[in-house]
Amino acid sequence: MSVSLNYSESELMAILMSREVRDREVSACGALSQLPATGLLLAKELHAPDAELIILNTVFRPFQTSRQFHFLAQRGELGLFFASGVQIDGRGNYNLHQLGTDPERPEVRFPGGYGGGMIYYCARRTVVFRTEHTRRSLVERVDFISATGSSPANVLRLGNPSKLITPKATFRFDKENACLRLESIHPSYTLAGIQENTGFDLGVTGPVAATPAPTAEELRVLRSVVRPKMIETGTYAAWAERSLGSG
Amino acid sequence: MGVPYIPVIGLVGTDLLKRRDDMLLAPDPFDGKTISVVARAMRPDVAVFHVDRADRQGNVSCGYPVEAVILAEASRHVIVTAEEVVDRLEEKHAAGTFVPSILVDTVVHAPFGSHPAGMTGRYGPDKVHMREYVAASRDDAAFAEYLRTYVFEVDSHADYVARFVPRELQQPARVA
Repeated sequence: MSVSLNYSESELMAILMSREVRDREVSACGALSQLPATGLLLAKELHAPDAELIILNTVFRPFQTSRQFHFLAQRGELGLFFASGVQIDGRGNYNLHQLGTDPERPEVRFPGGYGGGMIYYCARRTVVFRTEHTRRSLVERVDFISATGSSPANVLRLGNPSKLITPKATFRFDKENACLRLESIHPSYTLAGIQENTGFDLGVTGPVAATPAPTAEELRVLRSVVRPKMIETGTYAAWAERSLGSG
Repeated sequence: MGVPYIPVIGLVGTDLLKRRDDMLLAPDPFDGKTISVVARAMRPDVAVFHVDRADRQGNVSCGYPVEAVILAEASRHVIVTAEEVVDRLEEKHAAGTFVPSILVDTVVHAPFGSHPAGMTGRYGPDKVHMREYVAASRDDAAFAEYLRTYVFEVDSHADYVARFVPRELQQPARVA
């Protein structure tokens, strides 16, 4: 099947992320987060003009110190956070620490981190994303749990993952059953193709919707308004010039 | 803060917790049942950090916003290395984070003390040296050689700067 799409994979993912942002909430992403940063800026232009944005390592950073960001999250004032991991599993656990079956002898190490492992439990919603949708990134069980998708009822926890976004599909986090379920399939992909490239059970019980494609308005604002803003951040200038259409 | 431990929302069920003996799970002492992580306070014997300017009493202007106060408060002994030492530094003239002298024990004049990392507003990172460091860190023998060259066989800080800080970094920075 060959379908010609009028947007790139990065543009699609950023647009899907923007749809998760709610007006008047505090929404944040970390450093090295070009897709969420784009999604946050796009949402502010489109449907969330009064959203408070925190985009670390850019001018959208209201705090002098990481201590202030830490306690904002601990107080439960963070509505939405975007997180990624090298592996994500069907329970909504993610791994940003290391790969390999022997935890004492990792094959590769990643930044790891306390921050994501804390925020995953504090932000009201976390959108998990992965730019690679394959069996090595979406796995049955992560090699190392950096944060868990859910916790027992007696654990103090303020929020959970709400969604997983990949270049091929979106998954909804089913809190009751503590698992990710395939929610929608992006244009040009098929259920069989998703199945083939996902290492965990898709949790599908009925027909799966198609992901609503980017609208002309979303693409126009993304390319003509958000792209220049991303270039202005400095941090993401080279990426934005390369990955977002200039319209 | 001076507290012996602090509750933290998060990290429950992670493999990170399995590797930390300074964080464990504990019930909320008020309701007796809600579980959260409790982290033991860190109390370093010595903290050493590099700053932009310090005065002879130990007042410190970090040069940019940084978590230096909490580090100084937590540590029993605080050594500050500074690009520049001045006679008197007041909080209102500080750039970035200010650390008052009451928290600082020792000031060392160490221009280019961040090398091979950079110092905001003064000089950038030495990327050539950084690559050498990363390569050396891949195995113990190479790293031992790195330490021999850059640490153990260096006579003094001035000797280090003269031999290893590239000339172009030593030009005064002009950051807009």
